[in-house]
Amino acid sequence: MEESGFREPVLDAKSEVTGQLIDFQWKLGMAVSSDSCRSLKYPYVAVMLKVADHSGQVSSKSIEMTIPQFQNFYKQFKEIAAVIETV
Amino acid sequence: AALTAEHFVALQSLLKASSKDVVRQLCQESFSSSCLDSESLLDKTCSSLSVPQGEAAQLLQALHHFTRLVAFRDLSSAEAILALFPENFHQNLKNLLTKIIVEHISTWRAEAQANQISLPRLVDLDWRVDIKTSSDNISRMAVPTCLLQMKIQEDPSLCGEKPSISAVTMELSKETLDTMLDGLGRIRDQLSAVANK
Repeated sequence: MEESGFREPVLDAKSEVTGQLIDFQWKLGMAVSSDSCRSLKYPYVAVMLKVADHSGQVSSKSIEMTIPQFQNFYKQFKEIAAVIETV
Repeated sequence: AALTAEHFVALQSLLKASSKDVVRQLCQESFSSSCLDSESLLDKTCSSLSVPQGEAAQLLQALHHFTRLVAFRDLSSAEAILALFPENFHQNLKNLLTKIIVEHISTWRAEAQANQISLPRLVDLDWRVDIKTSSDNISRMAVPTCLLQMKIQEDPSLCGEKPSISAVTMELSKETLDTMLDGLGRIRDQLSAVANK
């Protein structure tokens, strides 16, 4: 369930001012056991974002979301996409 | 860790409690992972049971072990909890502890699950859609772009009561946004496939 691969950033109208998202990888997983709960069924979404800053330096951020958090995350992106479609 | 005979001996100190509510209160407070470092809880236990510090500390440790073990194994029935006690254990205290645990087990499970180690968590997502109209390179353009800020909290179990939150701000072009949305759509599909199994 790994997914990666963005095309190279298009340079023409890119500002050099803000960090650019250059890669996005995800994993859907299920925690089955831990030191405090022997038996668990805890699904989560893990996301890694690679962001290039103005000097081209790439840094990665890994984050974890519960399923309700992911659903909200997805909803937000759909809203952004809908807005960007209209401008 | 398994429960030992010493743990059960220490639990007998609860017989010095003046009421059931004192026992209930101690059970509640000894579950949290910080209870063994808490001076105030130790002092309170000493005074409410009128026992010396050493005895109170052993009792808290035994109660902590006991409640953690029950949550770890998710023992939610009275039978399963009663089976943990040795045969010669004080009958009334055994029944009282079992009753209290049955009352609290779901809260404790929830607390244990919420305090698990994890990757940093996303706590907030803010966004803004802009149109870039000109830059030092291009005098006139109309390029939609999205600014995204994620607030990320480091593992809450590591940073204790003062969670450290960092923010990452990035820009997404329409293409990047579409690719990302595509990936998120696939996660959603996988999730509903799992849910329907």
